[in-house]
Amino acid sequence: MIRTRNLKRLVIASMGVGSLVGALVAPAQAADPGVTATTIKLGISSPTTGSAGRVYGKLPGAMKAYFDYINANGGVNGRKITLVHRDDKYLPTLAATQTTNLILKDQVFALVGALGTATHSKAYTAAALAAKNVPDLFVNTGYSGFANKTKYPTTFTILPSYAMEAKVMAKYIKDNLAGQPFALFAQADEFGKDGIAGFTAAKTPPANTQLYPTSSVTSDVAKTYLTAISATPLKLVILFGTTDVTATVLKAAEDLNLVGKLTFMAGSVGGDANTLLALGVKPTTIDGLVAASFFPDAKDTTDAYVSQFMEINTKYNPGVTFDNVVLQGMNSAMLTVQALRAAGKDLTRAGLISAIESKGATFASAGLVPLNFSSTSRIGYNGYWFGKLNAKGELKPATGTTPVVYTTDSGAGDVVKSDYKRLPLPAKGIPTNS
Amino acid sequence: MKTTLIRKSLATAVATALIATFSVATTQFAAAADTPTCNTVGTNQICTGTDDLGAKYEIRMPSKFNGTLMLWSHGIRYAVPLPAIPVVNPVATAVNMAAEVAPSEAVANALLAQGYALAGSGFNRQGWNAEDAVISNIQVINTAKTQFPKIKKVTAWGVSMGGFITQSLQEQFPAMIDAAAPLCTATNTPLAEFKYAGDFLFGIKTFFDPTIMGSGYAAGQAGYMQMIGDIQKVLTVFGSISAAITANPVAPAWPASSTAPAALQAIPVRSALLLVGLMAGIPTQSNSFDASSGPAGPLETSFGLAISPALAVLENGVQGAMLAIVGTYGEELKMGGRFYDNSKTNWATQISQDDLDSYNAALSGTSAITAMIGYLTVAGQRVTADAIAKARFESQYVQTGQVNVPTVAMTGMADPIVPPGNTQWLIDKAGKNNKKLVVLWNKTPETYTEFNGQSPVSKSPATPTNGTGHCNFTLDQLLLVAKIANSAAKSGKLPSDKSINSMVAKVNTWDTTLVLDRDLAATPLKYNQ
Repeated sequence: MIRTRNLKRLVIASMGVGSLVGALVAPAQAADPGVTATTIKLGISSPTTGSAGRVYGKLPGAMKAYFDYINANGGVNGRKITLVHRDDKYLPTLAATQTTNLILKDQVFALVGALGTATHSKAYTAAALAAKNVPDLFVNTGYSGFANKTKYPTTFTILPSYAMEAKVMAKYIKDNLAGQPFALFAQADEFGKDGIAGFTAAKTPPANTQLYPTSSVTSDVAKTYLTAISATPLKLVILFGTTDVTATVLKAAEDLNLVGKLTFMAGSVGGDANTLLALGVKPTTIDGLVAASFFPDAKDTTDAYVSQFMEINTKYNPGVTFDNVVLQGMNSAMLTVQALRAAGKDLTRAGLISAIESKGATFASAGLVPLNFSSTSRIGYNGYWFGKLNAKGELKPATGTTPVVYTTDSGAGDVVKSDYKRLPLPAKGIPTNS
Repeated sequence: MKTTLIRKSLATAVATALIATFSVATTQFAAAADTPTCNTVGTNQICTGTDDLGAKYEIRMPSKFNGTLMLWSHGIRYAVPLPAIPVVNPVATAVNMAAEVAPSEAVANALLAQGYALAGSGFNRQGWNAEDAVISNIQVINTAKTQFPKIKKVTAWGVSMGGFITQSLQEQFPAMIDAAAPLCTATNTPLAEFKYAGDFLFGIKTFFDPTIMGSGYAAGQAGYMQMIGDIQKVLTVFGSISAAITANPVAPAWPASSTAPAALQAIPVRSALLLVGLMAGIPTQSNSFDASSGPAGPLETSFGLAISPALAVLENGVQGAMLAIVGTYGEELKMGGRFYDNSKTNWATQISQDDLDSYNAALSGTSAITAMIGYLTVAGQRVTADAIAKARFESQYVQTGQVNVPTVAMTGMADPIVPPGNTQWLIDKAGKNNKKLVVLWNKTPETYTEFNGQSPVSKSPATPTNGTGHCNFTLDQLLLVAKIANSAAKSGKLPSDKSINSMVAKVNTWDTTLVLDRDLAATPLKYNQ
């Protein structure tokens, strides 16, 4: 230990007395960013360009349109809402960057309507949303992992979990398709894993499962898959992925002359008719496609919510065709307004989270299934109804004339028919809750 | 599509050039400190000498001195000479023992013009040498104060291993300095850094070329040639993967040297490379690749999602692998044998679920991930350290993370040699709200990959992207850190976060962004998990 002795000698020869104690000081409590007496700044990271942008690009514009409508009618407790959007192209690294920018550069009060599982899980950690207690509202994913309140203490998802969706699909197949065996074509990530877990929980595992990485399904991949499936006795194919993949598979089926020979069932994320048609799927191909939904049909002008949102879209989002994505965006925006109102005039991040936990299940919503928010549940909707698309892209109840709603949980709970009656649309679509 | 990360003829060029340069550094200096020799150069007085340990030092004193000395600690230098190696060592290098007083002459001149005195040691040995470096630093401070009694304050700063030395100095002898600035710092223990590099190299070995040694090099010239052989093999592997991605970015083929089963090689090689990078903790953004941008057309989304992260690991991994090979070789010479040990490493669990979720598509989906992790677990190349060498290596100073003087840390978010998890360790130890510690995160730009048609453009290391590269800071960023640290040295406390943020805002430009945010956190190094 010569070195140590040398060191001490050297140090003693030269040093004064220094303080060795590092002080730990708690941060001062400051007002939450993004809120003034007259404004509330919200943020969203979602794709508006790239392949996912072509499918989900209308989401932030629809939300902004609804907020503009609310602002034109007095705002929320005297505050006007601004929505800052950043394009993440549905890429995890870019979503992390953009979400961090929303927090640090744009100084938003809360996030609303983020989209995607891989994207948002990475963004949540990178932007330190938990440490900053940033409310993370109505995330557009069905990944049940976001319900983990320990890991995502500020997150509320809006979609039913993919596991719920699979369980309800299994129930539908059993009740309406004689329980026929089916093939599952699913995204090879948490999306697909959740789905498989749901089918397994329903004791209806797929007879054939093909998982594919995100953004990997080309026309050739789809044709190879369908050719293989068509060589089996299976006639029912469940598409558990995004709408662009559904479109690619359906167009491949057209090319292979398999439309009508195979029955396709699309999950709620992948069954938007307008998008399918916009992506080049023939109307005759989608005619008869079974799709799950928790919303009314976006073309149903007799539905009060749809009708009101269409009116708002026409005025505040001119030139944008109303579809499921616009409906989803406006609905999330309306839920956000109710959450902000429920949080009261003294708006804080903690107060907003608490308001959704205590009152979120009572918010008016376009959904035909119940909202499930509580102090223990962070998943929004908890069920589905099934319909069949027609050639116009309208989703009509698969059986009977009114949607039959099924609800369940993400675990081993039963799938049950629900007699849920949604709350009426607030007058002119403007919430007045407190 | 062209990616010219690794030149074709690289490997063969290396091998022949290296044979003539073998010489193991066994630098020994007379253990007698000398009195500095001082000369006036321009308006500065420059003093040089050799300390008790035989390390060269230098002190520069400006004519208009403001009372503060800045003590610089340089980063790790290889302990062996290397020939010119394209990409990793463009110019042949001897072992560099020179004293260094600042990160660059531009920084030195700017600080001297501001009235700061500068000093630094070359250290008595190269390679990992933090303990002797602390002794040399204390001697430099003492010598400077003796020579220039008007020195009132001392700010210690350094990069990489020099950051480790700086932090070690404040932990062990806080009264010697008044402020510290460990930059792109290694932390905790050298084991953390060598595990990072070593695990990456052994992942490369497992998947792509089992004949790579990676450690356990022989004594004498034979060992040197084994080390050179490893460089050649790794560069050949990387060149092969680069060429494969160039030829077919969606489904690139594996290197011919791989012995992985055909079923595994059906997975795109870029996915296997990315898996190895994630297992070790190699950043998935690099100088050229942002893991976000894509060329207009069919690859617009999938390039950023699935191809770019792998190319980033490739670009970063060249440097990581060189540290693993040359650094490990140099340390084995000092320790007397193999100190790296992965006999009990669970590589599978080193890949976090969060990473598997985020990079699922880039890893070619869940089934491919399961297959690759299975192979890594079963076929992973294992080595057991020599007990004596390992004990020697582990006996080196292990930090406490205590922050005794005002400390400014700065680190790149995608540093390929010293990932930001090092600085995170310091934060975790000191506490994120510790008023004696402030961390400036050097972020990558929002997007920055450039394309020529469908082909990504490999950027020159001479024009590094902010937040990437090893200890890549601009002149303004370095001078900002100096300003904050010197202010703290003088006042005894760091400026408020608000004040620092105001200073940061003046330095930030559209493509260089420092961030002070006490809630941000980097992923810890695998060693620290």
